[in-house]
Amino acid sequence: MPASKPELRRSVTPWGSFSWGYSDVGADIFVGLGLVLAAAAGATNVAFLFAGIVYVCIGLAYTELAATYPVAGGGQYFVLRGLGDIFGFIAGWAVLLDFTIDVTLFAWTCVDYMSQLIPAFTGSLHPWVHFGVTLGLIVGLALLNVIGVRESTAFNGIVSALDVVSESLILCFGFLFAFRPELLLHTMHVSWPSPYHLMLGTSLAIISFVGLESISQAAQETQRPASIIPRTSISLILTILIFALAYSNLALGMQPWHPIHDAAGHPMQFWQIFPNNGDNQGKAVALLAAQIPYFGAIAALYVPLLGAVLLLISSNSGIFGSSRIAYAMSRSNLLPSLFQRVHPKFRTPAVSIAAFCGVAILELLFASFPSLYPGAMTLYAHFFRHETGLDFLADLYAFGAATSYSFVFLALIALRLNDPLSPRKFKIPFNLPIMVKGERAEFPLVAVIGFFGIFSILVFTLFTHPIGRVAGPSWLVLGLVAYFIYRRRRNLPVLGSEQRNWRAQQTDILRDAGELELMDEYIANVKASDARKAAALPQ
Amino acid sequence: MNASVHVDPIGAVVALLIACSIGAVLYWMLHPPESQVQKMAAQTTREVKQMVGSIIVVFSPEINSRHMMALAVKLARGERSELLALYVIEVPRTLPPDAEMPDEERAALDALGAAETIANENNVNLRTETVKTRATSEAVIEIAKREKADLLILGSYLEGKYAGARLGTAIQEIAADAKCDVLIGVEGKHGKLFGEELA
Repeated sequence: MPASKPELRRSVTPWGSFSWGYSDVGADIFVGLGLVLAAAAGATNVAFLFAGIVYVCIGLAYTELAATYPVAGGGQYFVLRGLGDIFGFIAGWAVLLDFTIDVTLFAWTCVDYMSQLIPAFTGSLHPWVHFGVTLGLIVGLALLNVIGVRESTAFNGIVSALDVVSESLILCFGFLFAFRPELLLHTMHVSWPSPYHLMLGTSLAIISFVGLESISQAAQETQRPASIIPRTSISLILTILIFALAYSNLALGMQPWHPIHDAAGHPMQFWQIFPNNGDNQGKAVALLAAQIPYFGAIAALYVPLLGAVLLLISSNSGIFGSSRIAYAMSRSNLLPSLFQRVHPKFRTPAVSIAAFCGVAILELLFASFPSLYPGAMTLYAHFFRHETGLDFLADLYAFGAATSYSFVFLALIALRLNDPLSPRKFKIPFNLPIMVKGERAEFPLVAVIGFFGIFSILVFTLFTHPIGRVAGPSWLVLGLVAYFIYRRRRNLPVLGSEQRNWRAQQTDILRDAGELELMDEYIANVKASDARKAAALPQ
Repeated sequence: MNASVHVDPIGAVVALLIACSIGAVLYWMLHPPESQVQKMAAQTTREVKQMVGSIIVVFSPEINSRHMMALAVKLARGERSELLALYVIEVPRTLPPDAEMPDEERAALDALGAAETIANENNVNLRTETVKTRATSEAVIEIAKREKADLLILGSYLEGKYAGARLGTAIQEIAADAKCDVLIGVEGKHGKLFGEELA
């Protein structure tokens, strides 16, 4: 009898699963808050609310899909299974863009947060230092990933716990001691943005909610994934939503404890310190925390550090995620087998890590170029409306997320119709019962709402982000050309899909996940379906 | 620094709501319902805790329990059980019940000494006792009753080293008559067979 193949150990607990997601999504508010405040001004809370509603739909979709198909691979796998190879590639390729941006954006803002404690890291004052430290972080994380060292679930869990407590304290103390509802209404009234800026703010707000699929990527290591993942996903959705909405309202309605003045000495409201100031945008939560009475004195010391650690973890998860997604796509023949190659000594996907960290460094160069070489400012101003490096990274991040999430909604609808036999431990509410090929299926109405929501954000992104609408689609076109060449060379269907035995795969997935009751239910469903079909055939 | 603290009732309510909602969400997440398998595992764990409240490891010239002692100590440590190492010397009927049997008594000292060493190394409290009896199985059952033992741990005895009678008579009688669980460990005589085959 052959020895059984080694498998991932199911050691990720509910908190571990939550912290995997939180270390990715939780860091987003550290980046997104300042950008949205700068863009949407008095409607920041509305921008977060709209993005939040879409995010809840995305979260519910991911929760259902990850609980039904508890495999590593995330959105790319769901789209591949639901819509076919080429759409799986597009979704995966968009996610890969997001992961590479994730690496750069979070390393960049990690340095911004550190600059709160170490002024030499401030981007506008010392652009070369800022660039050098960010580059050093990316290269360092890449090397650690090649060697195979990455943060442990326990470390993630501790940092996430500290962050949840800290963010809750910031909000509780902030609302208790510094919130003025009349100021919030006043700010919303007098600083309501133009429709263009509201769209810009909304498209940036979505980046505060990206990364939910980290939970599904750890599905193969999670105990009882079909039961635990719905809980951890829903908890993550609610936690992040509460934080995002609370932060945006607090920032607009906060009477600063410390008086804030602009360069001319005029007093300003808190949210007014962000427009046209990349340094402030990159460390919004730390600045807000420092304004809280009593707690602010302590928070000013440790929140920048905690934020920097969380952002560094998130940057690292971008490297890990991109290499693993590329590995998974390569195994599905969506990318060349080169991306499956593992380092002979360290047993890590070194080629993928090097390739996508290389892309991340290119993005860093492009984002830093105007500040490093002032002569380029004119060029960037002409083509990209004076966008800062942080704006550039956020543009692409929003584009990649909106694209891949749009496909995930379509995949959810397709899988509901194509695969009604798979037991769904969690199901999005509000479904319309229909019959598809003799099987009872349920059409998810929320997925339609979610699709239009995220698709509108994609349109906002293309409309309001000058770099995003050029670089994002260019990335997709470049990928599609490479995909066509690769598939043609391998004699694989270019526009169609490979034949796969999804039934056998689903049984294996549920067995490997330890969800034996669901596996039994699936097999029984399949048998009953076959029996029904056989009975319906003419004798 | 200008400390203009402003406490607004709405702000206070929102602060409370945030604290409560985050706490409630995390509590709900961390307390998922148990699956059927988890319920079974929990039941078994409770039974094991009851099972191993008091453990007796039995040694005798016919019962080689040396290899079971480490297991007994690990079990006792994990479950914080009371552990008794019992050495039974069977006195032939040709001798008086309290007859001196220096060789057997010396063997008892060795066995119990080794047991104490293992227990001390693992920070487990161990009591030792040597008894002389006409019938090993009766004495073991009697002491198990006296100690209200939950588990008897026995080694095995290869009579004549032939495969047909792996367990001695005493072991079979104890297993048949004991009112508590009996764990019998048969020592492997052929090494790690499957591992060696694969290697």
